[in-house]
Amino acid sequence: MNLLTDTLGMTELWANVVIMLIVCTIVFAVFALMSGITSWAERRIAGRMQSRYGCNRVGPFGILQFVADAVKLILKEDLIPDGADRFLYKITPYLCLMGVLATLVVLPLGSRAMIVADLNVGVLYFISITSIVVIGILMAGWSSNNKWSLLGGMRSAAQIVSYEIPVAMALLTPILIAGSLSMGDLLDSQGWLPWEWAAFQTPFSALAFFVFFIGSLAEGNRTPFDLPEAESELVSGFNTEYSGFRFAVFFMAEYGNVFLIGLSTTALFLGGPNLPGFLQGNPFLSVAVMMLKTFFVMFVVIWLRWTLPRFRIDQLMDLSWKYLLPCALIAFFGQSVFMLVAHEIPAITPITAIVVFIVFLLTMVKFFGRIRTNYKEQSIPVGLN
Amino acid sequence: MNAYFNNIKNGIQTVFEGMSISLASFFVHPVTIQYPEDDISSAENLKKTYKGQLGPMPENYRGILDVDLSICTACQLCVKACPIDCIVIDAVKCDKSKVQGTKAEKPAVKTRTCTRFDIHMGKCMFCGLCTLACPTGAIAHTKVFEMNKFQLQDLVLPFVSEDEKEKAIKRDSELKAEAAAAKAAKAAKEAEKTEEEK
Amino acid sequence: MTSELKTEHITINMGPQHPSTHGVIRFVIKTDGEIIHECDPDVGYLHRGIEKIAESVTWQGFVPFTDRVDYVASMNANWAYCLAVEKMLGTEVPERAEYIRVIAGELNRISSHLVAIGAADMDMGAITPFVQFLREREYINDLLEMICGARLTYNYYSIGGVNYDIPEGYSKKVTGFLDHFEVAVEQMHRLVTYNQIFINRFANVGAVSPEMAMDYNFVGPNLRGSGVKYDVRRNKPYSIYDKLDFEIPIGTASVGTLGDCYDRYFVRVEEIRESVKILRQCLQQIPAGEIQGKVKNAIKPPVGHKYVRTETPRGDTGYFIYSDGKTSPSRLKIRTGSFTGMSIIPELARNIFIADLVAIIGSLDIVAPELDR
Repeated sequence: MNLLTDTLGMTELWANVVIMLIVCTIVFAVFALMSGITSWAERRIAGRMQSRYGCNRVGPFGILQFVADAVKLILKEDLIPDGADRFLYKITPYLCLMGVLATLVVLPLGSRAMIVADLNVGVLYFISITSIVVIGILMAGWSSNNKWSLLGGMRSAAQIVSYEIPVAMALLTPILIAGSLSMGDLLDSQGWLPWEWAAFQTPFSALAFFVFFIGSLAEGNRTPFDLPEAESELVSGFNTEYSGFRFAVFFMAEYGNVFLIGLSTTALFLGGPNLPGFLQGNPFLSVAVMMLKTFFVMFVVIWLRWTLPRFRIDQLMDLSWKYLLPCALIAFFGQSVFMLVAHEIPAITPITAIVVFIVFLLTMVKFFGRIRTNYKEQSIPVGLN
Repeated sequence: MNAYFNNIKNGIQTVFEGMSISLASFFVHPVTIQYPEDDISSAENLKKTYKGQLGPMPENYRGILDVDLSICTACQLCVKACPIDCIVIDAVKCDKSKVQGTKAEKPAVKTRTCTRFDIHMGKCMFCGLCTLACPTGAIAHTKVFEMNKFQLQDLVLPFVSEDEKEKAIKRDSELKAEAAAAKAAKAAKEAEKTEEEK
Repeated sequence: MTSELKTEHITINMGPQHPSTHGVIRFVIKTDGEIIHECDPDVGYLHRGIEKIAESVTWQGFVPFTDRVDYVASMNANWAYCLAVEKMLGTEVPERAEYIRVIAGELNRISSHLVAIGAADMDMGAITPFVQFLREREYINDLLEMICGARLTYNYYSIGGVNYDIPEGYSKKVTGFLDHFEVAVEQMHRLVTYNQIFINRFANVGAVSPEMAMDYNFVGPNLRGSGVKYDVRRNKPYSIYDKLDFEIPIGTASVGTLGDCYDRYFVRVEEIRESVKILRQCLQQIPAGEIQGKVKNAIKPPVGHKYVRTETPRGDTGYFIYSDGKTSPSRLKIRTGSFTGMSIIPELARNIFIADLVAIIGSLDIVAPELDR
């Protein structure tokens, strides 16, 4: 900053603009790279869960597959369907991408110092800017001049709009714990130990964590909520008529959204980049811890996609309005009552956190037991050779 | 009300069970055979990589057809058995000989030889009816399945080469001449005999 | 003064090329966005004239064509035709050949049901179970490849017996496979068949009452899913099925109404378990002997006609043969279970979601080559 104002003699305004452009380019580069790596990871993980290799031809372990995909998509013919609304058709992919990218500005890529813009209403901005994607999807469905795309677009708009409400309500719980809407304050209110994370503070915040996670899946059109792009019914829904680079932009937006789900869940509920006291302030370690937790959440998102069948549209709406919204309200109400009680008896907070964490650990132990049994069952040899 | 909570409980239970099964599958060794690199006809190789899970290509695999003309008796049973008429055979007479095929216990008698044995692999449906009909085992399936060609005409496999065909035609005309000569000599002898009797 | 908003139904074409219809079938759907008002199936895109081809090939030579009538379960299709011709000729099939026929037929039944279940799962969005079922089917393909040399269109049965004998050590390999298979397929069912989301998609959808099923001439697992206990292997037994001990599973409305998609799906799941039982019995009881009955080289059945039914995985396949005493059939008609299953779709597809239509087609187990021969 000083470099630019003093040596190059720019005004402060221009220096700010230049710095912002550089930072945004870096963030966009990280986003594009992570979206490509997510698509590679999805294909590899899907392959291994189905007893086959994923992509393993292009580059070592197939890691350059997304580069090959991008090159192929750029080289394709630019096709606009007959009768489509040309202007809307052309700007829609960029609208969807913008909705996803703009949320990256408030999310931490590492420690608190690595948030591009630490607004004091960061969480509010985060929830509201993702709604631009709805407009993008509706426009995509309408401007394609294709009845299947229209159906996909309408379904998706209904789905995303109705899942915004439980997500926003579920977010109120960590806001209550932190006491402010700013993302940096939310990171500081959590510690580095698992029972100091916002997810395990009280049973109500654990409930809010699950509601937020499931709602984010629905916002990102991921299975089990991927009815708008259901391959077996709508031939890829609202992006049926998009090919070439426009499809690449949709693709990047969708997989980038997975990365975003990981980042936001980690930052808001799983303790973000917090490190133990003696290691604090180390930028590389904080980025590493953040990315590690993000990759774990992304693995769970991909894992869910390849396990569960998808919901029908009315069951989806039922889930949002009849199951998730009451849970989010109960979580908020319960958390506020708990905090009133904790104001009187301060000792109750760490005890509840440790109890919730132990319950979670026991569930995980049982879960790993099931995994071991299932693995043994699948490994009974066939002996055909 | 009960149904509501039951729904939630069942949902969570089955989702967790499903997730545990997926993750267990994640650690199982993949069963894909990486085709050009792995040699699928070798049973030893598959045993090493896939630990007895996948069967090798069996010996009686119905691959591309191959004809052994030395034991073919040109009986044309395969032509009659083929439902698609993709085998074409032209046969001429040849010296009588005995051929021992792979199928029959007794040797077969060969009186005719082929001057043309074409199989159109583009039409063939690999049903194996011709191999079942052949009495000596001359026509048989091999284990080869990679048989691409660049032109459709190249898929018609000719099994009789040009000089074999010429040799057979020459021998056939020689045999016909000998038969005609023998017939003429016999007729002359008959005429002499009747003249003598007169 | 009220003014009504004028709405129209849009006509969508779930065309011949579509990821979810199992093959090339076309549906013309009139919908108002999500609810279907009318559905009109359009079949015939895969018609190859197999019945007409039969009039120009010999009786023996038609067997490979029956493979292609239903290529997912081609052993049973072979068997249906060979049984019909044998009944006309009056040939006797040796007992060892009968046992081998049952083994091959039941292995193929398991493999066909795995495809049916897997495809229904994939239409619902669960892609992993489909691939895992196909992995199990690969082992069955390997087993069947050992006895006849081909993986999909077997041409294994001939009129009077089977073409090749089973190799050495086959029984041990099949039992080894069955030990692995029973456990692995149960695991797959825990992944998808008992999953609450899947049950919500399939229960109470497309319910067919027993009376309606019989009116529309349903056969096979579709009929048994509606609660009617009818199986050609029990009611009109052929081959050695009367010596084997197995149950006939029927739909019982365990979740939802009787005859809904889940019942039909679950009947197939249970039939796989029954086939495993049959296979184990057969492998123990198989006798030594010949594999081919006494049949002339050029078959010429006496003049007349016959209609023979067998239980293929898709229902009750009937072959009507009319012979003029010549070396080729004079008329051959194949009656398949998919065709009758298709006839009920316009009736069931009123006031349901498009997603439900996909579920119904998946549960009826319609394969296009069997639909239009």
